[in-house]
Amino acid sequence: MEISVIGNSQVKFGRTDFACRELGYVILKNNCRFSKGGVCFGQNLRLKKGGGIGLKAIHAEPVREMKNKPSGSRTRSKQADGVRLFVGLPLDTVSHDCNSINHSKAIAAGLKALKLLGVEGVELPIWWGIVEKEAMGKYDWSGYLAIAEMIQKVGLKLHVSLCFHGSKKPNIPLPKWISEIGESQPSIFFTDRSGQVYKECLSLAVDNLPVLNGKTPVQVYQSFCESFKSKFSPFMKSTITGISMGLGPDGKLRYPSHHELPSNGKTQGVGEFQCYDQNMLSLLKQQAESSGNPLWGLGGPHDVPTYDQSPYSNSFFKDGGSWESSYGDFFLSWYSSQLIAHGDSLLSLASSTFGDTGISIYGKIPLMHSWYGTRSHPSELTAGFYNTANLDGYEQVAQMFAKNSCKIILPGMDLSDANQPNETHSSPELLLSQTMTTFRNHGVSISGQNSSELGVPGGFEQMKKNLSGDNVLDLFSYQRMGAYFFSPEHFPSFTELVRSLNQPKLHLDDLPTEEEEGAESAVMSQESSVSMQAA
Amino acid sequence: MSISTTVFSEPLFNFKLSHYHRLATINRFKPNSSHSLSSTSNIINYGSSCSWTLKPPHKFLSPKFVTFATNTDTLQQIQSSDDVIFSQTHPINRIQLVEGKVFIRLDQGNDLKNSELIVGCNLPGKWILHWGVSGVDDIKSEWNQPPRDMIPPGSIPVKDHAIETPLKKSSTSPEGDTFYEVRISFKPSDEISAINFVLKDEETGASYQHKGRNFKVPLVNYLKEDANLIGPKTGFSLSQGDIGQMSNVILDSEATNDKVQDSSSESESPKKENSQVEGFNVELPLTKEVTVNNSISVSVRKCSETAKNILDLETDIPGNIFLHWGVCRDDLRSWEAPPAPHPPQTVAYKDTVLRTQLKPKGSGEGSSAQISLGEEFSGFLFLLKINENSWLNNKGIDFYVPLSTSGSLVIGNREDQSKVVKSEEAGENENSEFTNEIINEIRHLVTGISSVKRRKTKSKEAQETILQEIERLAAEAYSIFRTSVPTFSEEAIVESEVVLDSESPELPPKIMSGTGTGYEIVCQGFNWESNKSGRWYMELKEKAKELASLGFTVIWLPPPTDSVSPEGYMPRDLYNLNSRYGTIDELKDVVKEFHKVGIKVLGDAVLNHRCAEHQNKNGIWNIFGGRLNWDDRAVVADDPHFQGRGNKSSGDSFHAAPNIDHSQDFVRNDIKEWLCWLREEIGYDGWRLDFVRGFWGGYVKDYMDATKPYFSVGEYWDSLSYTYGEMDHNQDAHRQRIVDWISAAGGTAGAFDVTTKGILHSALERCEYWRLSDQQGKPPGVMGWWPSRAVTFIENHDTGSTQVWSSPFKNRLVILIEIIYFD
Repeated sequence: MEISVIGNSQVKFGRTDFACRELGYVILKNNCRFSKGGVCFGQNLRLKKGGGIGLKAIHAEPVREMKNKPSGSRTRSKQADGVRLFVGLPLDTVSHDCNSINHSKAIAAGLKALKLLGVEGVELPIWWGIVEKEAMGKYDWSGYLAIAEMIQKVGLKLHVSLCFHGSKKPNIPLPKWISEIGESQPSIFFTDRSGQVYKECLSLAVDNLPVLNGKTPVQVYQSFCESFKSKFSPFMKSTITGISMGLGPDGKLRYPSHHELPSNGKTQGVGEFQCYDQNMLSLLKQQAESSGNPLWGLGGPHDVPTYDQSPYSNSFFKDGGSWESSYGDFFLSWYSSQLIAHGDSLLSLASSTFGDTGISIYGKIPLMHSWYGTRSHPSELTAGFYNTANLDGYEQVAQMFAKNSCKIILPGMDLSDANQPNETHSSPELLLSQTMTTFRNHGVSISGQNSSELGVPGGFEQMKKNLSGDNVLDLFSYQRMGAYFFSPEHFPSFTELVRSLNQPKLHLDDLPTEEEEGAESAVMSQESSVSMQAA
Repeated sequence: MSISTTVFSEPLFNFKLSHYHRLATINRFKPNSSHSLSSTSNIINYGSSCSWTLKPPHKFLSPKFVTFATNTDTLQQIQSSDDVIFSQTHPINRIQLVEGKVFIRLDQGNDLKNSELIVGCNLPGKWILHWGVSGVDDIKSEWNQPPRDMIPPGSIPVKDHAIETPLKKSSTSPEGDTFYEVRISFKPSDEISAINFVLKDEETGASYQHKGRNFKVPLVNYLKEDANLIGPKTGFSLSQGDIGQMSNVILDSEATNDKVQDSSSESESPKKENSQVEGFNVELPLTKEVTVNNSISVSVRKCSETAKNILDLETDIPGNIFLHWGVCRDDLRSWEAPPAPHPPQTVAYKDTVLRTQLKPKGSGEGSSAQISLGEEFSGFLFLLKINENSWLNNKGIDFYVPLSTSGSLVIGNREDQSKVVKSEEAGENENSEFTNEIINEIRHLVTGISSVKRRKTKSKEAQETILQEIERLAAEAYSIFRTSVPTFSEEAIVESEVVLDSESPELPPKIMSGTGTGYEIVCQGFNWESNKSGRWYMELKEKAKELASLGFTVIWLPPPTDSVSPEGYMPRDLYNLNSRYGTIDELKDVVKEFHKVGIKVLGDAVLNHRCAEHQNKNGIWNIFGGRLNWDDRAVVADDPHFQGRGNKSSGDSFHAAPNIDHSQDFVRNDIKEWLCWLREEIGYDGWRLDFVRGFWGGYVKDYMDATKPYFSVGEYWDSLSYTYGEMDHNQDAHRQRIVDWISAAGGTAGAFDVTTKGILHSALERCEYWRLSDQQGKPPGVMGWWPSRAVTFIENHDTGSTQVWSSPFKNRLVILIEIIYFD
């Protein structure tokens, strides 16, 4: 057995270097801003008091103390403690090809770094296409179990995202056997007006059709969830504290209305309605017939723009366009209600499956902020949210979440209006505030996420803004660990974000404990000097 | 690590484990500059510092395993009727620095003809003098075997060039302590010019020398006929320089501390006047790491009358010890302060923590405390504050003593293997186990309130450690992720660049540090021959894109000024930037080109010296020309060749040209103005600073502050330590000098890690891979001590293909790659 001696650093900090002292002051003035790769959190007061930093500390940069994390969660209320912060693990954490952990060394180091930073936990995407890759009901959880164990060892919490969709980058397709079924039955996938099939996700129209070897997709999802629950039972609640249910393309509750985006990402077009697979069309037909307008059920609206066009290039989304007609209302109501019904069936599945574990269930919706400034909100309409200048389309969504006691994940917390292209009348901030208000009114707790994994201009400011003040979030899931995340351009800003979350508005003059500590050490040193003389 | 278990007979239960605790907070940084003085106090200091030097150090040495069986005061109570329910002793191995002295005395012997060299040491140890002699006509070789009659009995020859003679105990020490010495008698006629030696301690294997050089006792001066001309002081001062700083040893480098005494001839012996040999007596401080064994003993017994638990704690650690303690009621071990009565000298430290000063024992070192505790408590938690700097805890976890009778089992289950955490160096013990420990510790903080307190006191230390650890982990993760980036995103890269641009104002004073992002890869954009074409800038310009594609982020351009030598390192007119590499316009052009491809550009700033254009009235070249038409007042005074009228040089001298006196304001202002002009006019982003040994690093800080470079790196180049022509493993002295320079420069610039380069040479040329880690298991160069300022490199113009120190990793292209390992 050994005993570790932890030196009190009074003496150490007494080593003064004037250069650093100046640096310290500069930074104090700037309200603890960052310099180069240094991590900076905790109180700068140390610097002021201690007088500076010694050799070793010079490159450590102003050191702020880790405060209130993780012990804070015990001793302080959640409000005061700020938001629980999670960091997303790489999408390809577990390799699609061999079900092993990709760059596990990096992840191990990364997990430790996060833990030391005081991050609460990590978010782990679990892919249908990896776990149930080979055949229906044949699950291989080994890779994910291994990573869960790593996470548990480090002492982080785990929020899993069950991904019933595929991904192009990195390439994680749906299970092979699904793709094989899709070969012969393309109608299990979403299809657009021109007949293009979106293969990253099953169409919501087949949710309850026995298209998968005699089983319905909902049943398959359910078996998946149950298998997950039993395999991960040792981690449930202790390590796993949240489960996001994959609800559609990119895991979000939406239609894949924008999947044909121009890769330059310049102007966000309005997207297209995705109601052209056989099953959707037949549902539409039924609905039209039962509403007494059978002609409305022959297809989607004919006067919509294509994916990357502006709303003005055709008549549907224009002011006074078809969207405001009774046909428009019929179609949009049906289109959005299908989405909500889909969300309802999956979320109720999740909450019934995981209800007894006491783990929170989450669902995610997109932040379709392009064209929010127009009256028709075309991007939201094509994605399945009947939210216009005339109608709050998130009411029903919120009700559905509330009914299933699920929490909502809202992405786009890093997006600011100022940094959006003018021509798209985009307003992520307004949309976010609308949805947050609506969900909050229905008692649905809100979790935040950033949209861009590569950072957007002003992203950190915007996140801080969204995370402070009255916006009480359940947790914030920061996307996402990887090379960029740990790069010197990014990591310092992230650590600063962590610090700001942990200590909202903690002012330097506002640190009574520090004062005590100072007094304490003064006493101590007095004593020790006395003892020195005595000795 | 060893665990020994012994069983006591008396108490009902006994549990004794030997825990070896290394407690070492030896300060690895030994900056010489004044502001760092306090850093040395980081050395764990048991008792007052003066007691160190005055007391014979070995008093600390005798291991004291204080057990309850052997001590008297409190023990009698223990052994009385009460039942001892728990007893545990934690032996503690501390590494302590003890200071002693090396005495070197040159004496005449009893016989007029014979002289005697006495080397002594007052520190205990198995000292061995490893020595040889230099002949009069063979001054270069330090290692010749001395003549046979000079070799004391009991010596062992080492090969054919040295002798090892053990030091013998003698009782003649001034303080009456054990004293070790060896006497070497020799005759003046032996034609020996010097005796060279190092002192070895066979117990530890440590060898005490200095700067990789041997102790050198020159004899010639004393043996010469006209010895009176050269006194011992001057004579010794030769070697004095050598004995400046002992590697491996903390030694006051202040020459004033060395007592150079003439053993004056008059007072000692009238014979002396006739003697040709003048003796001297030198004492040099010597510091040795010594393992000190102490222990903490805790025992709990049940008081039969009050049904209370009585806990006795004692330790033989000297000095005033504070016990920080509390109790807990369950396994969660949440601290709480028990109700009074408390022992004397107890104060409430925090709501839940009490602090009790241990009562010094009547006899000898050590102290104890007795605490009585109600039976409702299940455990006793404590930490010891052994001095201002140091806390003792149990592997980052509080000591825990179970109070209920079943508690002893709990202890058994406790994790008894702890890890050494050196408080000073914790940040550098970077391995994952250590991280785990921090994490454990953090986790542990959740459970106790002691945490609040401990986090406070420890945190300054810990937080820094943690920060470094986070940075290290992040860098590790980054490097792996980066290299294994899948086809992830082309757009991503584009986007991130955009983001960078727009966010760059947010990542603020990068330039404060002068170290760029910490991930720079520097290419030396020229070699020793590049000037020959006369159009190097234009040739280099064509390579810009390619260099960018190779991943270089910084290029170092040759010195741009008018220069006496074609390579540019003998600058003359600083504002004339037409050189053998091209014209000023071409220079601007090439800089622009590099900026276009995203590469930062370093200017090679030769600030140490400058060539004059005119002679002074004595015909000495020390009057400068051009826009900075300084005269001899700008030249340092201590190089007679150039008759400078400035102050003495603040660094080493470069003898080929007048060295600039940076201590004067007008010189510094002119240089700052010039550097700023270069920044603006040419567009340099930073500096490669030539020959920074030549002047004080503090001036460099001044220049860096004025020019706010993105990146700068100094060339502090001197030679590594060798013994018998073989490079020493320990290059601490060498890297210390570089670290000192960085420190003097306030960390505003990095420095080439010459130490690492040199070590790599030996390691790779001769497959001596053990050189790649130092005694602490860290990188042996500057990287191991100050990674964020270490600019490691592969080649440069002084080492590269056209120069001497060309290396085992010879490149066709002489490209210097520097990587900053940002810890």
